[in-house]
Amino acid sequence: MNMRLKLAMAIIPLGIIIAAVPENTTRPYKLNAEQMLEEVKEGMQFVSPDEVAHMLVQKDPSLQLIDVRDKDSYDKFHLPGAINIPLADILSTENEDYLNQDVTMNVFYSNGATSANEAWMITRQLGYINNYVLQGGLNYYAETIMNPQKPKSTSPDDEFARYDFRQGASAALGGGNLNAATESAPAAAKPVIKKRKKKKRVAGGC
Amino acid sequence: MNEDRSKKYLNPYLGGTLLGLVLLTAFYFSGRGLGASGAVKSAVVASVEIVAPTHVETTDFYSNYKESHPGGPLKDWLVWEMLGVLVGGFISGAFAGRLKLKVEHSPKITSKVRLIFAAIGGILFGFGSQLGRGCTSGSALSGMAVLSLGGFITMAFIFGTAFALAYIARKLWI
Amino acid sequence: MGPLVVYEIISANTNLVMAFIIGIGFGFVLESSGFSSSRKLAGQFYGYDSTVLKVFFTAAVVAMLGLLFFSLFGWIDLSLIYINPTFLYSAMVGGAVMGVGFILGGFCPGTAFCALSIGKLDALSFIGGLVIGVLLFTEAFPLVEELFYAENMGTPTINEFLNMSRGTFGLILILIALGMFFVAEWAEKKFPREEY
Repeated sequence: MNMRLKLAMAIIPLGIIIAAVPENTTRPYKLNAEQMLEEVKEGMQFVSPDEVAHMLVQKDPSLQLIDVRDKDSYDKFHLPGAINIPLADILSTENEDYLNQDVTMNVFYSNGATSANEAWMITRQLGYINNYVLQGGLNYYAETIMNPQKPKSTSPDDEFARYDFRQGASAALGGGNLNAATESAPAAAKPVIKKRKKKKRVAGGC
Repeated sequence: MNEDRSKKYLNPYLGGTLLGLVLLTAFYFSGRGLGASGAVKSAVVASVEIVAPTHVETTDFYSNYKESHPGGPLKDWLVWEMLGVLVGGFISGAFAGRLKLKVEHSPKITSKVRLIFAAIGGILFGFGSQLGRGCTSGSALSGMAVLSLGGFITMAFIFGTAFALAYIARKLWI
Repeated sequence: MGPLVVYEIISANTNLVMAFIIGIGFGFVLESSGFSSSRKLAGQFYGYDSTVLKVFFTAAVVAMLGLLFFSLFGWIDLSLIYINPTFLYSAMVGGAVMGVGFILGGFCPGTAFCALSIGKLDALSFIGGLVIGVLLFTEAFPLVEELFYAENMGTPTINEFLNMSRGTFGLILILIALGMFFVAEWAEKKFPREEY
């Protein structure tokens, strides 16, 4: 039999099948369970409220806060400069540009840390980098930054320094108490952004 | 005539299927298609660097290329692939008894004319492949397999121009 | 899950070994299909030999189908595959220049190396030309830079451009290819030449 007919008999049915089935758009997980466990154990994703407050005060352009609560809660209250990506929309394609990038440091937050951590786990397994979680969530942030507790007089000096910073940050960011001077804000340790390797499209061509 | 051909060369549809599988293997293992002109470019850049190192440093094109290809030609995928092509072609030629030093040309022209036109064709192809970001294999074939728009455009222009000029150049071939 | 090198299943050096092995396959198939003969290649443009068209389109269709099915089965992540970018004008002008080179030289770079491997001296001359051509381009780069970067369209695929699914375009491409094969075989019967 003619080779052309044989070829046609093989590729036309295959072509019809491929035209008929929907494209595979599922996004595969790129980290396996062991790798994920390793990252979770290390807790590298957490950023403390102090670090976030410090970056906010410094107006650090690399910080991008992402509110993963629903839109109502976001409208009622959100941290300065935060954008709203509800957890339910974390996989939608229009949010991918925010989440899958290597420029800004994204910090997820929710009321507690649970939803934010869930958002991080999903994005991390997709292989995205530079996403972090606000430790303790908004509740802990409110406790520590907006209404800091004055340390006992016997506390070590750095506790006082931290208290002063929190009060300063709170004033600068429109928090609770407004009775402290802002100039005493010490330089909090800059959060270390550990660069993780991102899977990239292969470079090729002639 | 057809019988004779099937003995001599692989059936084109079978050959095409095998070539498609080779291309698919390249995509599966290395995430990229086949190529050829890039290997020449890699070799050219490396040679220029040996002959005129300062020239390489001061010319944007070379320094950009070096930046994007840190390992040099020995770490270049296409260079290894083209070395493989030389080996593969030799093996096939040896099996089919086609190993022979010769200049292939139409009876209407001399070997010398053929060599001159081959060189002119080579110059144009070398220049065009760099301008078009890939040759027949790198841009057109691999591009078409991944449904790249650029691949189809390049393919259409290569074959379109060649067809359009075929009549003028007929003495070279028929 | 492929591509294997991206998922670090094979190392960068293994990738180069793979390149060599893939190259052997590439060269073997080209040579045994007759791509080492410039007159056979040029025959495409005079209707007497359509091997180029058949091999070229069959390969593109087979590889395309393979990629689409691999993606369907979740064996390969198409978003990690290299897609050559489309710069409209340089693709057109570059393609046209290559077309002139093809009809005068009778080879394309890949087939020239393949022909050289079995001792064709015209292929050696062509490769010498290639080196000069690439050198000319790199040295004259500032002159053509504007054209080279003009009309950057990113990395669109033709199905996005035509606003249809990959699979639908794949089927259309298959039918176009088979249609061309039919015409080519008709032309071969109409303009017969002896084998070289």
